[in-house]
Amino acid sequence: MERNRKIQMTPKERAAAMAKGEGVDRLPCNPNVANGVARVYGCKISDFNTSARTLADAQIASYRKFGYDGVRVFTDLFPWPEAMGAKVICPEDNTADLLEPAIKNEKDIDRLIPLNPYKDGRLPVHLEAMKYLVDEVGDEVGCSAAIIGPFTFACFLLGIDNTLKACIKNPEIVHKLCKIALESSIAYVDAAMAIGLGPTISEPMSSCTVISPRIFRKFSQPYLKQLVDHIKSNGKGVVMHICGQTSGIWQDIADMGVAGFSIDNVASIVECKEKIGSKCRILGNVDPGTIMYMGSKDQVRLETLKGIRDGYDSPMGYTPMSGCSLPIDTPLENIQEMMDTVADVGYPVNIERVNELINDVKKRLA
Amino acid sequence: MDNKQTLLSQMAEAVIDMDEDLVEQAANEYVEQGYDALEGITNGLSAGMEKVGHLYEEQEYYIPELLICSEVMYAGMDILKPHLNRDDADGKVKLKAVVGVVEGDTHDIGKNLFKIMLETQGFEVYDLGRDVSPDRFIEKAKAVDANLVGMSTLMTTTMRNMEITIKKLEEEGLREKLVVMVGGGPISYNFAMKIGADGYEAEASKAAETGKELVLKKYSAVMAR
Repeated sequence: MERNRKIQMTPKERAAAMAKGEGVDRLPCNPNVANGVARVYGCKISDFNTSARTLADAQIASYRKFGYDGVRVFTDLFPWPEAMGAKVICPEDNTADLLEPAIKNEKDIDRLIPLNPYKDGRLPVHLEAMKYLVDEVGDEVGCSAAIIGPFTFACFLLGIDNTLKACIKNPEIVHKLCKIALESSIAYVDAAMAIGLGPTISEPMSSCTVISPRIFRKFSQPYLKQLVDHIKSNGKGVVMHICGQTSGIWQDIADMGVAGFSIDNVASIVECKEKIGSKCRILGNVDPGTIMYMGSKDQVRLETLKGIRDGYDSPMGYTPMSGCSLPIDTPLENIQEMMDTVADVGYPVNIERVNELINDVKKRLA
Repeated sequence: MDNKQTLLSQMAEAVIDMDEDLVEQAANEYVEQGYDALEGITNGLSAGMEKVGHLYEEQEYYIPELLICSEVMYAGMDILKPHLNRDDADGKVKLKAVVGVVEGDTHDIGKNLFKIMLETQGFEVYDLGRDVSPDRFIEKAKAVDANLVGMSTLMTTTMRNMEITIKKLEEEGLREKLVVMVGGGPISYNFAMKIGADGYEAEASKAAETGKELVLKKYSAVMAR
């Protein structure tokens, strides 16, 4: 078994010791490898659509290689709307994409039936992969199941443009869609929690890059909060990710009682820490494209260090992470560099040492 | 303000206020009065859409608002377009753009906004949709004699396809004739320059303005030769 040379504790040991205030080797870190695990394991991304064994094995292989603090069953944003009739393109070796929403016309809304996680689309494959993860690595690393938030889900049911326009022109239909989306999300997270995983929520369409905080509060927040409450009532914490700019809704998200919020590279760790760091863990936000995918190892190192410098003293904790799921062909040495950087900083974080390390890299990059 | 001015500002306001009834009423009256259709589009509808672009940049408007404003603009365009004088475009550059997403997902909204904004700048836009291969960009650019090609992507894996498209445009001898704009989540100005594109902007409305400037600049340079 290949193990990272710098792993001294398992992610679960690390988290437990940290919670008790005991010494640990480093901050938790999650580069957010996503479908790139196929590159580590050596399979096609389309294999994940049919083989739970491959989906789990690829996740495990990548976790073993890098030793990051969390594995997750997540292939793309669309298995749930697909389970309700949306059409998805599944390229042989790339991430699936939405081809057609579940319904094209508002009038067809009554045709939508909430998904059955044990039967519909690729969901049974995901659930089976979850079992393998829990059985095989569940005692050492946190395993989570991805779900999209109800508003994003609604957008994929009626189509993005139609749903966004309906927010202004036909609010009732958006509420109806969000309700059925919420019901479906709950069915899926219940199935995942029954296996022992904690859900993470991705809610990209709620980004302030897409909708205003006002529309967020009207259509997205109420249903998202119900989903968070439901998960919490089952004793699980929730980590949420929203792409793009999110500062206008940070307070709303923190008030939902999420355990962690992961921000994209266009948002600021310092500002996020100041605003909601006392309420939830902050995760983020090395640029997945320009730095992780296209950048050099030293650039990855520099940006990871800057994140630590900005976030390490966040009251509820900070996890170095990339700003969004990594592109599938992100160089493996860049992923390793993020892990190594976090290990080099160690724990507790000594800010002077972080600044020294930053200056070292800057000199090399100059 | 004379009647024409009133109708022009009504059309602009209708676009900004997302008022489809008002735009139809104003555009119909404008046509009945026999005022110039091209001026109605540029100084009425497009002027309104330009303001909408600013409201978007100022985070007053977001994507839902933008989508509806553009719908209203198109409703007005449908009324004015049949009355365009054919000679209007003569002696000017015919702005033609081919746009598409190299590979995308939910975020192909950026391309759609770029398309709308290009139209407000007077471009005739051919939208190739999503998952567009380099060859399809080139075929279409050739077929319609485009002077702008706009490519966007969210997926970093397919950023290289942008570079391939640019290389192929060179091979086909088309590169000099047109402006290449790239955009999308993972794209930066530096990346755009590195792969040999002409322009990049983070915001769709600015990108369309820049696109037009670049085309006109290229055109005047060609004329000066």
